[in-house]
Amino acid sequence: MEAEEIIRTEHLTYEYQAGCPVLQDLSVSIHKGEKIAVMGSNGAGKSTFFLHLNGVLQAGKGKIFYGGAEIRRKDLNGLRKHVGFVFQDADNQMIASSVQAEVAFGPMNLKLPKEEVKKRVSEALEYMDLQGYRERPPHYLSGGEKKRVSIADIIAMKPEVILFDEPTAALDPLGGELLEDVLERLSKEGKTLLVSTHDVDFAYRWAERALIFHHGKLAADGGTLEIFQQEQVLRETHLKKPEMLTVYEALLQKGRIRKGSYPRRAGELPGALI
Amino acid sequence: MGVFGLHKNSHHSHGVRNIDFYASQSKIRHWNDSFKVASSCIILLLCMILDQPEVSITVIVTMGIVNIWANRVPALAYIGLLKVPLAFLAIGCIIIALGISKQPMGDYRVFLCGHYFYTTNEGVGRAAALFFKAMGAVSAMYALTLSTSASELAGVLKKAHVPKAVVELMNMMYRFIFILTEVQGRMKTAAVSRLGYVDFKASCYSFGKIGGNLFLVSLKKANTYYDAMVSRGYEGDLPFWEEEKQVKLWQAGALMLYLCGLAGVYILATR
Repeated sequence: MEAEEIIRTEHLTYEYQAGCPVLQDLSVSIHKGEKIAVMGSNGAGKSTFFLHLNGVLQAGKGKIFYGGAEIRRKDLNGLRKHVGFVFQDADNQMIASSVQAEVAFGPMNLKLPKEEVKKRVSEALEYMDLQGYRERPPHYLSGGEKKRVSIADIIAMKPEVILFDEPTAALDPLGGELLEDVLERLSKEGKTLLVSTHDVDFAYRWAERALIFHHGKLAADGGTLEIFQQEQVLRETHLKKPEMLTVYEALLQKGRIRKGSYPRRAGELPGALI
Repeated sequence: MGVFGLHKNSHHSHGVRNIDFYASQSKIRHWNDSFKVASSCIILLLCMILDQPEVSITVIVTMGIVNIWANRVPALAYIGLLKVPLAFLAIGCIIIALGISKQPMGDYRVFLCGHYFYTTNEGVGRAAALFFKAMGAVSAMYALTLSTSASELAGVLKKAHVPKAVVELMNMMYRFIFILTEVQGRMKTAAVSRLGYVDFKASCYSFGKIGGNLFLVSLKKANTYYDAMVSRGYEGDLPFWEEEKQVKLWQAGALMLYLCGLAGVYILATR
């Protein structure tokens, strides 16, 4: 079942400095509701790609399409309304003196009426379980709390697509669990999610599709399972095979696990064993 | 509220950073911002205009109480905050009181290097009055800044029809001070852990290197900051969410009472 296309890039090329292309000839089509893991070594172009999808950077060459319509310079703001970007370092997002002012920043920029802004802020704070933090200054919160504020920020803007730049990087195990819960909820609401990550196990667990970046190019694009089974691709892009997949393959060899069961997390293992 | 005490940079005893911190946990931060600005300015002006040491000392003491009790600044920290203006004022007032002459003059003098350094009773009186007046003004200002965050102050300026660009610039500059101090703090810690401050020579070298790098690293961070703003639709306007705070009748009444009190002190002192 092919969901409708929501974002498409065609031959996207970008260089921060002349002669050093960070993105090369990137063509990819993203569909509504997809859960995509974006992987690749540092410097492979993941963050730059996200900044393009969000309308912060404009391509040197190539085009971006949202909902079928081409995004030109004057449409960039429109793109930002539909695509939200949760930055890796929450500190880089904190701009206001209180959590509620912080979460209101996005909706205020959307020029929404005050009542609507108030409503969205309340909803977003509830969503991320931050009601008690309204008045607190964001700079003095803990890492995990800041992360939740930075996500609430974006949720309040109600974008259709949300990009997460290495969200698990600075989170403790509890924070990581909460994040996966949030991703699950957002996905159920029909949002399209792209998460850039180094954590192959997380990608295997959560994503349906994987985009592997390598030196600014798209080295692989496909279902997570098939990508992770391509040894050559993994080798070239310096990615490890997810633990659960290695376990599956080892058990399969000994005939201890049902063929095709592919447990994605440890909890699914007992049910798949023979 | 106790978590505020665990702020990781609480070992800093100076700096704009701490003022912002105290403002964020002040008991009166919910008071109407324009009211706080107006009160501080009126008290400050009154202190200057009335020009009486008794009035000034009253202001110093009462504003000190406001800062320590209402703004919840620990007494020692407050004294730390007062140290810098104190030092400047002390030096300035001494110079005002001091005269140099080849002839013996004045009520108190000392002979050094062929000249008389002297002062008169009147001179000391003037210097002391000036000192107290200035410290009163500083205390009144601290009562404001330790209870009102910078973006709220910027909001007051906006209401006073200061050009939007100036106000937004103020807000951004203020935030970047924090970026700068944070980056500098981290670089210094990293240097200290590698014995970068082990002696005077090493300290000078480390300090210089950090200073040089500080600009570059902060610039990069500022760029990321800007990207984060743009990605949330920033178009050149910074429409900050402003809470509506009502001025309560009792607050206005308290201010009136206080000003009358100051006037009373003045009348008593000049009788």
